[in-house]
Amino acid sequence: MIVDDSTLVLGIETSCDETAAALVMGGYDVVSSAVSTQVDLHAQFGGVVPEIAGRAHLDLLNPMIARAIVEAGVTEDRIDAVACTVGPGLIGALLVGVSAAKALALTWNVPFIGVNHMEAHLYAAFLEDPTLEFPLVVLLVSGGHTMLIEMQGHGQYRLLGQTIDDAAGEAFDKVARFLGLGYPGGPAIDREAEDGDPEAIRFPRAMLHDGLDFSFSGLKTSVMNHVRKHPDVSAADVAASFQAAVVDVLVQKAQRAALQVGACGLVLGGGVAANSLLREQFLSACTQSGIRGFLPSRAMCTDNAAMIAAAGWHRLKSDGPTGLDAGAYPNLRLAFLS
Amino acid sequence: MLILGIETATQQVSVAIGGHEGVLGMFEVSRGRRHAETLVPAIEFVCRQADIEIAEFGAIAVDIGPGLFTGMRVGLAAGKAIAQALRVPMIGISSLDLLAFPLRHADRTIAAVIDARKGEVFYAFYRPVPGGVQRVTEPCVGPVDDLVADLIARGQNVVCVGDGALRYRDEIEGDLHCDFAEQFVSFPSAAPLVQLAHARALREDWVNPWEIQPMYLRAPDAQINWTTRESAS
Ligand SMILES: [Zn+2]
Repeated sequence: MIVDDSTLVLGIETSCDETAAALVMGGYDVVSSAVSTQVDLHAQFGGVVPEIAGRAHLDLLNPMIARAIVEAGVTEDRIDAVACTVGPGLIGALLVGVSAAKALALTWNVPFIGVNHMEAHLYAAFLEDPTLEFPLVVLLVSGGHTMLIEMQGHGQYRLLGQTIDDAAGEAFDKVARFLGLGYPGGPAIDREAEDGDPEAIRFPRAMLHDGLDFSFSGLKTSVMNHVRKHPDVSAADVAASFQAAVVDVLVQKAQRAALQVGACGLVLGGGVAANSLLREQFLSACTQSGIRGFLPSRAMCTDNAAMIAAAGWHRLKSDGPTGLDAGAYPNLRLAFLS
Repeated sequence: MLILGIETATQQVSVAIGGHEGVLGMFEVSRGRRHAETLVPAIEFVCRQADIEIAEFGAIAVDIGPGLFTGMRVGLAAGKAIAQALRVPMIGISSLDLLAFPLRHADRTIAAVIDARKGEVFYAFYRPVPGGVQRVTEPCVGPVDDLVADLIARGQNVVCVGDGALRYRDEIEGDLHCDFAEQFVSFPSAAPLVQLAHARALREDWVNPWEIQPMYLRAPDAQINWTTRESAS
């Protein structure tokens, strides 16, 4: 099969709490992208409930696929391949997408491509700026991951640093829950911090000058200790100071990584990339150090299926299709160059 | 009309093709617990061996449970996707109906019992009627003790079928006399699925793919999975 600029890939994403389908042409051109978030279903539990996610994906996936096809204004026989997240993620959630995607590939008699969700996040930026050049440093921050990755080329990644305990998004969720700000924690802290003083409390910046790895578990603990010791403290000040500490570490390490590698650009990705302070500081750090920074739109940072289709197009081009006997792999890792 | 039947509600994966002649081909494996890996290649295999193109199916039949949630959804997701792509209707049939139907020649009440884990079973009672079985109780989930109490209350000779019946055979037999169906009919199968679905297809008793509803019978376990929450955006 020839994989080129006119190859149309249907992407499917069901790894966590977003049900999404999208059509992407030639690996870069987003023809349509439909996303249904289940955040309201999980909010009352303060986190993603796997069984609720599985049930919702089963209800929502067919309408999302139909919407992606209708919005693209194409007929189904125009679709050249079906790409789907096979991991990492919640097993019961992943299995809905994988089963549907393989069934569609069989029915349409087109290739199936199993996609690594983390690799797809790396490709999100290319959908909005295909002129990005390697080597690129990507700061990937989500509820499950905090990573600094060097993209040397398509499919060629080097891990520069990662969290040794909590992911940044997880820290946001836990602190938000502790402060009673609700779920999801990222947007809740972001909103609360608007009225707070980021310098009110000097929370620790763990490992700031020590390599490119991250640690957020100590920060979370010191937020809790501070609030217990000062029960009258303003939640807005705590949120703002906590957020400032997280963003400080993320941005400084990303900047240092980009300079070390001699990167052509620095890209932000993952759900936490929707945080307004992070976006602001990220761009100003890039300007200050003369690195070309790229901030994907909020829609492209959070889970979506366009990035799955894009990563799928690149995988199909380099490795060919995935067998229909593929399963779901909840702990799937990215293959890094050593 | 050709019907594709998909069944993944227990530890078995079962695929069958049915037509007006009956069952034209089938695949069944109950060991390995690799529903997602097995199902789509199994559909491909049965179609190829029966020399049938997927586009020839006029309806897709699926087992809607009750059963193991994750496994059930593998079949439902695949079935819904195929039906949507082919623009054909779906027929959903309960796993308990599928267990009881092969025993329709029995001369007594049938208890269809599926292992629901956590010491519980999904079950319903059926009675044989000309040409099939009739469900006489609503499908329910409960501890094995509830099933045994229901069996005793019926006060009659009952034949039990299903992986739940076999797993809890000692508990059931301890209190009353029952017969047990063979192990090889203890999982719902796609063969009765396509047979039952064909009869319904003739009456156009079917639904659109987005209308099909799984029969969970149990509320979600609202436990938050922080540790495997790998990919939250
Ligand atoms: Zn993600």
